[in-house]
Amino acid sequence: MIEVKDITKSYGKTQAVKGISFSIKDGECFGLLGPNGAGKSSTINMLSMLFPPDTGSITINGTDASNVNAEVKQILGIVPQEIALYEKFTAWENILFWGSIYGVSGKQLTNKAEELLKWVGLFDRRKELVKEYSGGMKRRINIACALLHSPMVLLLDEPTVGVDPQSRNLIFELIQHLNKEGMTIIYTTHYMEEAEKLCDKIGIMDNGKIIAQGTLDELKTLSAVSDMIVVDCTQTPDEKFLSDKLKTNVAVAENTVTILSNDSKKDLTSIVTTCTDAGYGITRIDIQKANLESVFLKMTGKQLRD
Amino acid sequence: MFKILQKELRTLFKDRRALILGLLMPIILISIFSLAFGGMNKGNNKKTQLLVCDEDKTEFTKKLVVAIDSIKTIDMATTTLDTALDLVKNGKYPGVFIFHKGFTDSAHASKPLPWEMKSDATRSIEMEMMQQYLVQTLYSKVALMSMQNQAGNADDLSAAIAMQQMKKSMDERSKMQENMKIQSSSIATGPNNDGLVQAVAGTAVMMLLFSLTAMGGRLLEEKENGTLKRLLYSPLTASDILMGKMLSSILFATVQLIIMFSFSSMVFGLVLAPKIVAVLLLILVTAFACSGFGMFLASVVKSRDQLQTLSTLAILSMSVIGGSMVPSFLMPGWMQIVGHASINYWSIQGFYDIFSRQLALTDFIFLKKVLVLFLFGAVLSTMAFRLFRKNVTSMA
Repeated sequence: MIEVKDITKSYGKTQAVKGISFSIKDGECFGLLGPNGAGKSSTINMLSMLFPPDTGSITINGTDASNVNAEVKQILGIVPQEIALYEKFTAWENILFWGSIYGVSGKQLTNKAEELLKWVGLFDRRKELVKEYSGGMKRRINIACALLHSPMVLLLDEPTVGVDPQSRNLIFELIQHLNKEGMTIIYTTHYMEEAEKLCDKIGIMDNGKIIAQGTLDELKTLSAVSDMIVVDCTQTPDEKFLSDKLKTNVAVAENTVTILSNDSKKDLTSIVTTCTDAGYGITRIDIQKANLESVFLKMTGKQLRD
Repeated sequence: MFKILQKELRTLFKDRRALILGLLMPIILISIFSLAFGGMNKGNNKKTQLLVCDEDKTEFTKKLVVAIDSIKTIDMATTTLDTALDLVKNGKYPGVFIFHKGFTDSAHASKPLPWEMKSDATRSIEMEMMQQYLVQTLYSKVALMSMQNQAGNADDLSAAIAMQQMKKSMDERSKMQENMKIQSSSIATGPNNDGLVQAVAGTAVMMLLFSLTAMGGRLLEEKENGTLKRLLYSPLTASDILMGKMLSSILFATVQLIIMFSFSSMVFGLVLAPKIVAVLLLILVTAFACSGFGMFLASVVKSRDQLQTLSTLAILSMSVIGGSMVPSFLMPGWMQIVGHASINYWSIQGFYDIFSRQLALTDFIFLKKVLVLFLFGAVLSTMAFRLFRKNVTSMA
């Protein structure tokens, strides 16, 4: 369905995307996971033909999408990171407008609008102005506006930023439902839990590059890490000191230190001894199974939230 | 408190272009207003153009033409009557002073003098002011030359004596003044008062520029809240989006102008009926030009603060030099020429053509103004399109 080959993008002297490649099969949910500034939004903007890549190629549904192509745009539904809605319009007016610019009209448009509003749980409040909605409600309408023309591919650029847990769960359900119905989905996020929960395949982006990609299991195998030990200390530990002493990847965020381990039972004693000897009082220890956070830490030496 | 002060100043300095424009704006406006309105009080420094047409062609009238030419405040040119009337009708000259056939004979016979001032309907005030200069110069000259003639072959001294005798008689003096009265009229006079046309057209165009710039500002609003980017994700092109905005601007402007003229018609008695097609045509091209202006400004600036400052500066400047605030003939000559660079000038003159000069829809003089306004719209829109497309590529 989507084939991206070695695309790059620069803004002035800053290279935001440094030659990334990936492919997505029909009906797959592909996650682009990475911290802010990793190049995820630039990648989405190129996929959605807002601007072309400087080099490389993009093929969507067998058609070259490196440059603006109205036919390809018609099969894409894009949920931007911003809540891109007309606040002075009602939800109903917004949804009809965004559907109409994709050529949906008449009964087909009103039926689809009604269906989507019910689906996102806002049909009863469709006549209210969007500016009166909560952040979560706006996010839901933001997604619904991208679905009026029943796109084959849905690109979601961090759709849950600033959303309450209830709306977030609803958004997850919506995406899973769409994916089950066969829609191809590209989902960017910097929350590893979201990527783990929603995506069949994940590309981990950092500093403009995809540093690893595959299924969650493939990535865990790739990182060759089984556990992640999280230690809360009484003061901020020295990251380099711990890394040198423990001879593994260590990430420190305030008073919490995250340590990768292949055998947590064996490593736990040396971790406690090292911390205590260094004068870092331990208040809590948590042993977690390897996840995307540990993969990212292994690959980049830093945490996703950095 | 000082933290807030610090934050406010920092915010202010973040948009340096807006700050510079904000600081420069009052200085530029003071300069433009002073030059325009200061010029009104410096009438002595400003020469008014006048055509003179001597149909009598005698030595007597030739001397009077020379006398007119010697008036420092008048920039005189002579021509035939037909040409003169055309030039005044075109608005190229404010008026023509005519010595009709038999002028010399009437002067010698102490009959009413067949001389006449014909003015552009829109500049009758200017011509009335000029008439005062003419009266001061020509009355004594005509009186002296008539006395010389009545004295037959007598020398200047006897003529002067004769004139002195004449002046003694109050009755004869008033008879002479009656005979020397200059007939004055406008070449074409419509049913509308010039002041009303000036007030309606001048204000309408100025207000239209303000409201259309605000509409252009919505483009920036869309950029700021992300809806423009979302529109660009859709199958619509950048040109489709700007064209849609442009058309809505033109439609809004057309309706606004129609409302303004209808209101003026109903409340102030502006007569629209006989020229309705010409009025609608002019409204359309004015709406197009003003919309182009609004879109152009919105495409040039980077923020709404910049737009507000730049638009105020540009609109007030154009309104002053273009004659929206005061009739342009009251301004210094060079400023009247600069005024041609404004939408206001061409639109107001177009409305004068319709309402005051009573020109037909097909008259080239009127159509020229329509064409210029169309070109304003076309050039500004094209530039706005180019800038907009360039901005779009640098959006992300």
